[in-house]
Amino acid sequence: MEVGKSQSEIGSSRREFLWNSGGGLGGIALAAMLGKDALAEPDGKLGGVLHHPPRAKRVVQLFMGGAASHIDLFDYKPALEKHHGEPSDFGEKIELFQSGFGPWAKSYFDFKPYGESGKPLSDAVSELGEVVDDMAFVHNLVGKTGVHSQATYLQATGFQRPGFPGMGCWISYALGSMNENLPAFVVLPDHRGYASNGPKNWASAFLPAHTQGTTIFPQRKNPIENLKAQSGFVTDASDQDGLKLLNRFNRTYNSDRVGDSRLDARIRSYELAAKMQLSAPESMDISKEPEHILKMYGLENIGRTYGKDINVPEEAEYFGRKCLVARRLLERGVRFIQIWSGNDNSFPRRNWDSHEDIRRDHGPLAKGMAIGASALIKDLKQRGMLEDTIVLWTTEFGRMPSTQGSLGRDHNPFVFTNWLSGGGIKGGVTAGESDQWGFKPLDRENPTQVYDIHATILHLLGIDHKQLNVRHNGIDRRLTDVHGHVIQDLIA
Amino acid sequence: MKHLRVILFTLYSFLITESCSVLLADDLFSEDVMPILQAKCLSCHNSTESKGDFALDTRDGLYESGFLVKGKPAESHLVDVITPDGSGKAKMPKGKEALTKQELAVIVKWISAGASWPTDLARIEPAVVTDTNWWSLQAINRGVIPSIERVPDGFTIENPIDAFVLAKQLEHDLRPSPRADKHTSLRRLYFDLTGLPPTPEQVNAFMTDESPLAYERLVDQLLASPAYGERWARHWLDVVKYADTCGYDKDKLRPNAWPYRDYVVESFNRDKPYTRFVHEQIAGDVLYPNTSDGILGLGFIAAGPWDFIGHVEVPESKIDGRIARYLDRDDMVTNTLNTFTSTTIQCARCHNHKFDPITQQHYYNLHTVFAAVDKAERSYGVDAKVEQQKSKLNAQIKSATEEMVSINKAIADAAGDTYKRLKEEAAQLTDAAKLKTRMTAYGYHSQISSAEDKEEWLQVDLGESVAITEIRIHPTSDDFNQIGNGFGFPTRFRIECSDDPTFKKSSVVADQTKFDYPKVGLAFYSSSPKSVAARYVRITATKLTARLNDYIMAISEIVVLDEAGQNLALNKSTSAATSIEQGERWAKQNATDGIWPLPVDVSKTQQRASLLLRAEVELKNARTPERIKRLSELANLIKDSQAALDAQPAGRMVYAAATDFNPRGGFQPTKGKPRQINVLYRGDILKPGEPAIPGTIPVLANTVDTFQLPEDHTEGDRRAALAQWLPRDDHPLTWRSIVNRIWQYHFGQGIVNSSNDFGRMGELPTHPRLLDWLAAEFRDNGQSIKDLHRLIVSSSTYRQAATHNEKNATIDGGNRFLWRMNRRRLSAEEIRDSILMVSGRLDNRMGGEGYYLFELERPEHSPHYEYHKHDPRDVKSHRRSIYRFIVRSQPDPFMTALDCADSSQSTPTRDETITSIQALALLNNKFNLAMAEYFAQDLQQSEQALADQVQLAFERITGRKPAANDLQALIQYAQQHDLANVCRLLYNLNEFVYVD
Repeated sequence: MEVGKSQSEIGSSRREFLWNSGGGLGGIALAAMLGKDALAEPDGKLGGVLHHPPRAKRVVQLFMGGAASHIDLFDYKPALEKHHGEPSDFGEKIELFQSGFGPWAKSYFDFKPYGESGKPLSDAVSELGEVVDDMAFVHNLVGKTGVHSQATYLQATGFQRPGFPGMGCWISYALGSMNENLPAFVVLPDHRGYASNGPKNWASAFLPAHTQGTTIFPQRKNPIENLKAQSGFVTDASDQDGLKLLNRFNRTYNSDRVGDSRLDARIRSYELAAKMQLSAPESMDISKEPEHILKMYGLENIGRTYGKDINVPEEAEYFGRKCLVARRLLERGVRFIQIWSGNDNSFPRRNWDSHEDIRRDHGPLAKGMAIGASALIKDLKQRGMLEDTIVLWTTEFGRMPSTQGSLGRDHNPFVFTNWLSGGGIKGGVTAGESDQWGFKPLDRENPTQVYDIHATILHLLGIDHKQLNVRHNGIDRRLTDVHGHVIQDLIA
Repeated sequence: MKHLRVILFTLYSFLITESCSVLLADDLFSEDVMPILQAKCLSCHNSTESKGDFALDTRDGLYESGFLVKGKPAESHLVDVITPDGSGKAKMPKGKEALTKQELAVIVKWISAGASWPTDLARIEPAVVTDTNWWSLQAINRGVIPSIERVPDGFTIENPIDAFVLAKQLEHDLRPSPRADKHTSLRRLYFDLTGLPPTPEQVNAFMTDESPLAYERLVDQLLASPAYGERWARHWLDVVKYADTCGYDKDKLRPNAWPYRDYVVESFNRDKPYTRFVHEQIAGDVLYPNTSDGILGLGFIAAGPWDFIGHVEVPESKIDGRIARYLDRDDMVTNTLNTFTSTTIQCARCHNHKFDPITQQHYYNLHTVFAAVDKAERSYGVDAKVEQQKSKLNAQIKSATEEMVSINKAIADAAGDTYKRLKEEAAQLTDAAKLKTRMTAYGYHSQISSAEDKEEWLQVDLGESVAITEIRIHPTSDDFNQIGNGFGFPTRFRIECSDDPTFKKSSVVADQTKFDYPKVGLAFYSSSPKSVAARYVRITATKLTARLNDYIMAISEIVVLDEAGQNLALNKSTSAATSIEQGERWAKQNATDGIWPLPVDVSKTQQRASLLLRAEVELKNARTPERIKRLSELANLIKDSQAALDAQPAGRMVYAAATDFNPRGGFQPTKGKPRQINVLYRGDILKPGEPAIPGTIPVLANTVDTFQLPEDHTEGDRRAALAQWLPRDDHPLTWRSIVNRIWQYHFGQGIVNSSNDFGRMGELPTHPRLLDWLAAEFRDNGQSIKDLHRLIVSSSTYRQAATHNEKNATIDGGNRFLWRMNRRRLSAEEIRDSILMVSGRLDNRMGGEGYYLFELERPEHSPHYEYHKHDPRDVKSHRRSIYRFIVRSQPDPFMTALDCADSSQSTPTRDETITSIQALALLNNKFNLAMAEYFAQDLQQSEQALADQVQLAFERITGRKPAANDLQALIQYAQQHDLANVCRLLYNLNEFVYVD
């Protein structure tokens, strides 16, 4: 390395690039970083071809906070039905989070086959039966820890520790947004509270700040903070006049300071902000959606009040609304959307961490999720968007095939399920099985890891996961750490 | 290209025939090929990483890669990529020097000979980097200050910094910029040194100060102001990852993290010598015992995230518990080496460092230094004698309590089978004796006494002398201190009857003063006197009952029955020696109100009480006089020790590294015993290798990298050894690291831009000689950071204008050689603090607990930090931003939009992004809107005329007077809308958020 050369120059030109593109909202930062020509089309419709032609442009990640049970939802285990109630035997010494080594326990819900593929699904998620032929299951995911926080980080960022960018950040860093009036990466948290790690799951860490997830709370008076001035003294007229005057002052200031592109970029950021003020509320407004669409998403009775016990209509409304808002955002060019189901580990339980009672908590949560997710897939499909939108369903780990107490299950980091749909994913297949109990992968030597899921999604987006690197504190970091294989069996 | 290779081949063949033609195939591999693969290829192309889907650490990996055709080097892709092109560069090794001709020749020969791999060699491991030939590992060389023959016109060499910088500029044909104007210098200095804008008065004072020393005086004044420490401590806290919550799942509060934050502010303000600052943060408790700062500094070790679940809910005996503690130690090691030595030690966790001379062994040796500490609360501000006395007293209490337990057990054992049977029978009635209904009127409650032998009495006046058949005393129930049923029922007492209200003469009808009445819950005490007639009935406690650390008597009801079973005392007046009259709950008149707490089954409760009383009698025999005496001695000892303990000066608490703390669930203190540390294969806790020994990284020439500690050393000795190693005079990293950081914050770029990484993956210094000179100057002259600031800000280099220069920009567009000052955007804290200040709201009070910018909900379980519910008008939040309570997992959205540091990672430099989210935050965030209104009110109180108000607003925001037409435009805007709208606009000016 030549003295004082290379990185600072690359660094400053990268920064300059971001400034020039107005903070990267329409940016294709990575292309610039890789020294390749920016291949964005002039209207910014698609943020360029990075490493190979993409199959998909958008991603929706459905994240079940607290650890959803694969055995009770998607991974049918006849052996558990046969041996239900018998003492469990794992054939090896294992440690569990709360030592829930009760007897074998069959699914708390019945399974039935669906679709042409005949894939069995539990009654708790029967609504997904309608789209099961568009779904691909991975039943041999393995985690690294049974601790929620670390496991959630691992699924969300590819690392077990805090301080790493979320998958959505990497993707918006690589591809930018398809609509500069909206953020590239949007997060719809469970409105009752954040899952483990909260916003750190979608923080940009060492990537530029614009890549972080923008949280939207559709239920709140202010769904996006700061979008509008909530104050008595600011009127539409004072806002308009003020922006004009601000623009004038800033231009004068800049004219005395040539050669500093940041100053102009800042003017541009105010112009983009004004556009976002118009676009964002419209994209979240579901009031004009036709009745049959609202019904499909479980939104017949928006705004009704619910009892204090967990129940299906309430869960369906909350999850369905997020799915519908997600579809509207996807239509308008948002690149990556993360929808969370399940809040922190407080009581009464409103997440998937069913140590106490699978039927009570998984029942309504799963039904609400299935109504929303099924509607989203159908809706994307009927609009021709499913073919280039990937839907990923995930959670931090699975649950044990043995009982805890008499009605719950302990953590199972040894195996769990993901499913994917759309965006170049092969429908109606299963890539990777768990063993007869749903305890560990069937082929223990060849499990699937989160890195493989991430690598596959990046691949479908036209990105080689090994080439998406950023140097931070002396280490070249990437989403897949030093791992990851594209799962060819999943790709159509 | 192909052609070129053919020529090169001829050359290799020639070299090989000459040098090593007689080697056998396997020997060729082991002796010549393997070292090349290890040194040049394996760090990226191994089975774990296999970059480019190519691993050559195993035979299969190599043969199946398709990169190599046995016997045919010309057809082997491997040879393609390692062969240099005409300019001497090759594709591989990526980003490093190409293989030498000799090395290339070896590879080619080996492939020609069939590329054999010895059958007994399963896998080859990457080589260890031992090469210390790297700039940052060389001794600091103070060097010679360059002499400049012709200083460009208009530039003055104020101090050696200018000579070093100018020399570089001239080398690159650059010319320095002219000095910034006075107003620009003023604003630059204020923000740089204090993070706050100058007031119009301060602007005026400086602009009218014609003295040639005006600038120097201002520098001294700002460095002496407390605001200096508040600004510069923030830089340090960015690097060390300071926050007020733990992060991870639940993100629990750390209510006592702030004393470390205040310690850093104070250390900067007092200009603590750097060696001391380093020492205190690693081993202050050992090196400076009996000082507050010696413990407060240890907040450094605990500054990073901490996994509550992995420590508290999972014990260390479980794998997940061990992983949590291992990752926590990694955080301590990483924070220490990143912060003080700008070394990426964390790279050596799973494998030897690929670029710097650090092995896994070195990394795990550093783990041993922190193997006995955890992140927890510990007290500070008390001297060691007090600490010693406290632990002595605690030990006394503990052993006395244990002895009491064992004596009581011996008594119970000696009491025999009858006793046991009675106890068992009573136990079966426990449920029946539980409280059924709680009344709102509890009963009578004496004043609280600090001694148990104070006499208390309560009596009832029956109105006339009447024949009494039975007296019943009903206990109370109160959950205070979890006491419940029988709360305050006297331990020893007597009941008397008299016709004299003063009881000078009386007949005792019940005497329970000889031994302690057992705890029988809600069972009433009953006494049936024979042929007594009296007007007054009194109960006197001769031994009160313990409540918290004090004593009381409490009684729910006195019932006096006549022959017919009628309650003669009902609603009769009562009197008492003392009484707490507390609303409905406690009043002496409650003792005759006919209300008392009822158990589930009254008769079973009475039955249980009689069983317990009989058991007590059985027990009495087992209570030998010796045992009674000893028990009473022990009780007194505990009482006295507790009193002595309470009398010790209370320490305050800080969240820091600790070996002893209040255990919680699985989170248990080591008490100073270091955990066993082994080198972990691939960083896997289940694959321990060689044991680690206390030591550090090998950067000092001619010294061993393990600490020379005696066999019986303490954990503190290990930390002290590391603390003393860091600021050694001959340390090549520590001094360069700190001066580079200070430089970076002044100029917006470091001499080394990767200020957390001086290794081979980091950047090279732009001015290596200047860096060394500064490091030596700082190290050898008192290690005063304030002196370093003075040196830097008084240089002409710093005082340059920030203006563009086309010619210079063509040569050095990135301004690496500092031909102008860098314009910078204010940091999140500077923006927020400035807004508070110009709006007349800034509360300058320093230190203390962090204020909330959120509503805290459900802190008992998983705290919710609800920022959208915070009221920005809350005056508690109008202090400087360094004092805000920083939530690790849910950072403040407004500050985050302005690029404040993320406390989950070390932030050596802040980003400076420009986004529409940021624009919206400055326009519409409720804080800015509330402040705009305050700002307008403040202006209206300061000035009468609108024009003056607008002018003052502009001056406070920019530090200068507005141009006439600008002022006019703003006035017009204020007239059309209002002044608050003007204020809102001004917060968004480029001129406000940028400093030239």
